[in-house]
Amino acid sequence: MAEVRLAIRKRLNRGEFQMFKRGLAIVSAIVIALSVTACAGGGNNGNSKASAGQNGGQETGDRPVKAVEISFWDMVWGPPEYAEAAQKLVNRFNEEHPGIQVKYQSTPWDNWYQTFTTAIASGSPPDISTGAGYQAFQFTDNDAILPLDDVVEELKQAGKLDDFVPGSVEALQYNGHYVAFPWMIDIRVPWYRKDLFEQAGITQMPKTWDELRAALKQLSGDGKYGLVLPGNDVNLGIQALFSLMLNNGGGIFNEQKEVDLMNERNVEAARLISDVVKDGSVNPAMIGFNGDGGIKEFGAGRGAVYIHTPSLLDNFPDLSERIGILEPLEGPHGDKATLGWVNNIMIYKASNHQEEAKTFLKWWVENNKTLWTEGKQGGFPVKTSFTEDPYWQDNPNLKLIAEKYLPIMKTTGYKAPGGFPELNEIEGDGTTLTMIQKIMSGRPVEQSMTETRQKYEQIMSK
Amino acid sequence: MHKEQGAWQAQLRFFAPAIVFISLVSLYPFFSGIVYSLKDGSLLDSGSFVGLSNFAELLRMREFWYAFYFSIGFTLFSVLGSYAAGLFLAVLLNMNIPGRGVFRVALLVPWVVSSVVSMVGWRTMIGDQTGIVNTFVQAFGFEPILFLGSEKWAVFSVILVKIWRSFPFMMVSLLAALQAIGKDLYEAAAIDGAGKWRSFVSITLPQLKTVTLVSWILMSIWSFNDFDVLWLLTGGGPLDATQNLIIMSYKYAFVKSSTGIGSALGIVSLIVLMALALILMRVQRKGE
Repeated sequence: MAEVRLAIRKRLNRGEFQMFKRGLAIVSAIVIALSVTACAGGGNNGNSKASAGQNGGQETGDRPVKAVEISFWDMVWGPPEYAEAAQKLVNRFNEEHPGIQVKYQSTPWDNWYQTFTTAIASGSPPDISTGAGYQAFQFTDNDAILPLDDVVEELKQAGKLDDFVPGSVEALQYNGHYVAFPWMIDIRVPWYRKDLFEQAGITQMPKTWDELRAALKQLSGDGKYGLVLPGNDVNLGIQALFSLMLNNGGGIFNEQKEVDLMNERNVEAARLISDVVKDGSVNPAMIGFNGDGGIKEFGAGRGAVYIHTPSLLDNFPDLSERIGILEPLEGPHGDKATLGWVNNIMIYKASNHQEEAKTFLKWWVENNKTLWTEGKQGGFPVKTSFTEDPYWQDNPNLKLIAEKYLPIMKTTGYKAPGGFPELNEIEGDGTTLTMIQKIMSGRPVEQSMTETRQKYEQIMSK
Repeated sequence: MHKEQGAWQAQLRFFAPAIVFISLVSLYPFFSGIVYSLKDGSLLDSGSFVGLSNFAELLRMREFWYAFYFSIGFTLFSVLGSYAAGLFLAVLLNMNIPGRGVFRVALLVPWVVSSVVSMVGWRTMIGDQTGIVNTFVQAFGFEPILFLGSEKWAVFSVILVKIWRSFPFMMVSLLAALQAIGKDLYEAAAIDGAGKWRSFVSITLPQLKTVTLVSWILMSIWSFNDFDVLWLLTGGGPLDATQNLIIMSYKYAFVKSSTGIGSALGIVSLIVLMALALILMRVQRKGE
């Protein structure tokens, strides 16, 4: 070391050597600081693996094993109470399972696709998450999702799947495997302002499209509009159109999973929206509104009908007497249907604690009734026994949905069987939103739909 | 000579960690972006090499050309508008007016307030017919204006909001330059019979040339690259009317999961900005 210092000293003058010594001291300090940090981080990893099983982390031998921590990303499925109820449920799981500690993270819907794709691409997805209806299919193609065949088989053997909404488990099969597990049915229904209908002198609720269009026109005027249609919301903006397409017996796809956007039933549905807009029944400013803007208009009494989630009413607890749900409308050809999704939970292959994640998944689906009863979750449980609770039976709106809308629910992929990853892009990449905005701004319907159909075909051909 | 070489090498060794860090943070993403632009990847898959076909596809896209011309127009009007407003206010604040100090601080608010906060405020004011701006419009007997709901008005609105966000920077830069202009120049001009306007054109503006060009270069880069005003106010809509190349790049990369096209848009934006900066710097050198 002394020789090295001497060699350096010979090459530098006094000032330079002083600078060199100072620099060396600074670099050494940084290296030591980084080493301490790395050691502190690394010290916790050594004990993080635990034995598999229901109570992962049991003591082995004389030394207690540290609890396994798994991360659970849960989308915002309801009003603020939802996240609180979900955290409370997670806390209960953590108390009952000291060896598995779940870290709950409420994840917003805005930019959901980017959130998950970025996490997966960077190698840091959660262990388990809820998500968009077709998310698990898409990420299965990227080998990011853990198949849950063993979980389904276990619950089937135990007879627990008999309580599930028929078809909800099978709907999550893709390429021969169960890629996710259902926990909730999301659906779209037409809410209406009873007070605005009364003020407009409408005593008979519309039952057909013609009656709806006439009612919406009658409801419009003096700064009020019949239909709330947020044109800048990538979810709600397009879901109203999809609901009407399905209501008319249409669908984006045919049975062979080919794009069939231009079929007569779909075009009729798009024309209905175009006609309603031309009637002046939609606020022209709505083209720039997102879903929250639509809620504001509906709550303020400036919009009379809003196709939304079952939990819309939770935004206006003081208006519960003034808001209701229209009975399912009959399309021009006698069809009745609405848009819905089998929402699900998925586990990621990158998880270091897959067995613990499965334990949590099974417990969560079995015990999550409080997400509705306390969290005001905006959908319906897959476990039909839950809906016998007074929470559903004593609520006329929820009872109506359970009895009349759930049985007619169809997914975005209808008429193609099952689900597939391309539905994520079709719903989330802005293509359909552009179509809605074109229709709302008075562009020709068929031309707007043709351009969109071409983009759908590009998505399906990838 | 030997000593100088030794000193230089010692200095290089001290700078080495910083050079490595800057290379990782700036150069690596830059070259990665170029590589991505030459592939057909997505957010989950880096894709295969496709050469310049992403760029060729961009040139065929009507959406690209609209975003390109909108970016140029948005930049031009934002820079000119914020410069004009900034110059006017700087000249006023350079005078001995009452409350000058308060105004100098208050007029910085558009620049310092967070984008999210200010855009929420603007959306409340101009988002629909019930906003405060339309309340005034209707009070004067006009029909309400769909500032964010109509394609033409949305373009006007985002430019106006950008000018509002940007003028404080111009104002502060020009005010500093104004204060450095010697009073003797104006006195000499007055003796020669020059009026206020003549003094402004022949003395003030030439003296501001350097700071003007620098602020134009910076504001052009910031306006061309603008994301928060456009995204938060309109999301690039309605119907992509307010979509610039940066918003388009974001949508293709992160919404449509097409990192090839998204990166290609980023490279195109870089080339345009470099050309713009070179032109302005040449103009500045000619002036010198």
